[in-house]
Amino acid sequence: MRFTELEESSPTNSSNPAVAGPSSKSHSTSNGRTVANGNGFVSPFTNGNGVVGSSGAGTSGSNGVVMERHEKSALSRVNLPGHLLYEDSNVDREEFVRLLLQSLRDVGYIESAATLEAESGFSMEEPQVRRFREYILSGMWSKAEDSLSRLGIVNEDNSWDAKFLINKQKYLELLEARKTAAALHVLRTELALSSPEPAQLHVLASLLMCTEPEDVRQRAGWDGVSGQSRQQLLLDLHRFIPPSVMIPQRRFLTLLQQARQDQLRRCIYHNTPLEATPFSLLSDHECNKDGFPGVTTTVLSVHTDEVWNVEWSHDGAYLASGSADRTAIIWNMGSDRRKWEVHLILGDHPFPVHSIAWSSDDSMLLTGAEHFIKLWDAKTGSCIRTMDEHTETVTALSWLPDGSGFISGALDRKIIQWNAEGRKKLSWGLTDIRVTDLAVTPDLSRVVTIGMHVPTSSESSSLRGIRNSGSSGDGTTNPSGNTSSMNGITPTKNRFIIYRLSTRQVESSIKLDGDLTSVKVSQDSQYALINHSPDEIQLWDLRLGRLARKFTGQRQGRHIIRSCFGGIDGSFVASGSEDGNVYVWHRDTGSLLEVLSGHGEGSVNSVAWNPANERMFASCSDDKSIRIWEAPTPEMVLDMSGHTDYSVSYSAKGKGKTRQMDGEVENAGMASPSTRL
Amino acid sequence: MGMSYRRYLHGERVYGCSKCKTHLATIHSMISRAFNGQHGRAYLFDVVVNVIEGEPCDRPMTTGNHTVRDIYCIKCGTTLGWKYDKAYEANQKYKEGKFILERNLLVDVQ
Repeated sequence: MRFTELEESSPTNSSNPAVAGPSSKSHSTSNGRTVANGNGFVSPFTNGNGVVGSSGAGTSGSNGVVMERHEKSALSRVNLPGHLLYEDSNVDREEFVRLLLQSLRDVGYIESAATLEAESGFSMEEPQVRRFREYILSGMWSKAEDSLSRLGIVNEDNSWDAKFLINKQKYLELLEARKTAAALHVLRTELALSSPEPAQLHVLASLLMCTEPEDVRQRAGWDGVSGQSRQQLLLDLHRFIPPSVMIPQRRFLTLLQQARQDQLRRCIYHNTPLEATPFSLLSDHECNKDGFPGVTTTVLSVHTDEVWNVEWSHDGAYLASGSADRTAIIWNMGSDRRKWEVHLILGDHPFPVHSIAWSSDDSMLLTGAEHFIKLWDAKTGSCIRTMDEHTETVTALSWLPDGSGFISGALDRKIIQWNAEGRKKLSWGLTDIRVTDLAVTPDLSRVVTIGMHVPTSSESSSLRGIRNSGSSGDGTTNPSGNTSSMNGITPTKNRFIIYRLSTRQVESSIKLDGDLTSVKVSQDSQYALINHSPDEIQLWDLRLGRLARKFTGQRQGRHIIRSCFGGIDGSFVASGSEDGNVYVWHRDTGSLLEVLSGHGEGSVNSVAWNPANERMFASCSDDKSIRIWEAPTPEMVLDMSGHTDYSVSYSAKGKGKTRQMDGEVENAGMASPSTRL
Repeated sequence: MGMSYRRYLHGERVYGCSKCKTHLATIHSMISRAFNGQHGRAYLFDVVVNVIEGEPCDRPMTTGNHTVRDIYCIKCGTTLGWKYDKAYEANQKYKEGKFILERNLLVDVQ
């Protein structure tokens, strides 16, 4: 069926190519939504794209002659029972059809839209809404303001707010066009009347001082008449106009995108960037495990004692490790990702190395060994500076994301801020806790600390009573000095304290039972991940100061076990464990995804996800080794098809690669130190 | 095995290693001041933390034969005293499982 002849019979609208096709057969629609123009005619509407400045419908008094042409249309309205799309659905048929109409018109299926309107008897929106849109987009401010009253705005405040937004745009456009006098008039007569707060008015008034249009745009955070500002104004106005009157733009697409996001959130193994994720409306999205780094591809075995910590450089090309053997090693991944080698061995530590931190530009590395901090040149391996300001173990080193320096935390209850050269800028004074770990949020707003709470003197002296009542015990020995309220040794109380970085004031201080050993902050600065003994990792929402989720499964009792966020959008949580396995969970559901074995006896002390490669992470263990975990390559999956053990080690000794099918094989000596300090 | 932090003690008086100030014991867990070590006066404690225990050996003392282990500071390795594993004299049994710290190797910390 074609409708082109009908288009020709619409003389008054010929200037508007977006308006085409037949109008609805029904003059007043069955659901009582009668058209407001009073003459009983329904006109077809568009979403306003491509009709800016159209004057065809601009003269509201002349609507009576518009589109008197439905006689030829053979389409009759289809009468359906009820108001739902399907009987057993909760989708309103009229809303659905209106969204379809909007989508059809947006893409240019004008005639189909008109046909749908005729068949369904529903129209996308009423003519005054379309005209309002046109007025805004073409800058016809007084008409726009006049028609506001016909858009079903429910309360007076909203009406004033909408007027304010329109007049603000008008004012800014006048300023941009250097019509200062006219702008001043708008400010005095219209903005002053409708402004919700005096402060906003002052800001606007201050723009009168701008001499250049660019100044106006920059200071107002507004992109000008030639930018998207009028479109943005329409979006902002949606807040005040009921959506049933003016459908938000691209509403159908918004709903589909929400469906997609929801599917991605529920896809527990999801680990591909958004742009590389195929999405079909025809089936739900679900990933298999192919993109998940569950296979050991390299074992780094150069340390001669337990490896306690690992940290990736920001570019993901280097890995630094700290060990009980009193060295830190910087490992280089090599360009083809298989030729791992020792880049530098940073010796010269008087104690085991337990903390590591890369500077934001990866040019320097900090190491912590007992109460010493050392700053190293990560290219040459020379020690730039040794700091011994702390008097007890330095447990945390964190560079500020802006590169201006770093923060250290220690068991001596001090938090110290340093500049990038390692000179002390500021000591925070004694905190309430012996800091066991600390992290700065990427947005630089907060410092998240965990540690052992130090009792006040009155709390301490009350211990005497405990001792007296309990000292005549059965004489059982307590060789490890385990937690006991007898003998003057109290159970350690632990706390999680959030500071504002700018003021160094405590924002919240939360008491937690059990030792706290590690804290990491998510990339969006919203969550903190805290290892907690026994056997629990907690995810805290920093803005709400509330526990969001717990991850369980890993073993943690006596040792410092660390965890991390990882994968695309930080959607995984990984942790070491005292049972020698690596545990990985899906962050948003808390499901335990993988328990990865491979490390030898002892604890897996720390894990670190490669920040530049969502399909790679590293783990380090008491077994003196570091394992690199990656997603299996297609070639590996093929090779391994006859084997049940997926724990493959790659030996990357010198040139060429030797694949060892036995996961137990360690590549001792595979990487030869290029520098020894 | 594995990494752990040293323990920290609270109380009116905390004794630490004179060399590195590592916390060792509190006055509340002290049982007696009437002991002598290799460097003079020594104290008997119920509980001592942050020490490594050496191998057991039999040692004749003024109060009879005992099986003891030397104890070392976990941070700096200084020998601080010993721990009683076994007392052969019945009236000395109360020392079993208890610790001797030499006064000259201790400092007040906090």
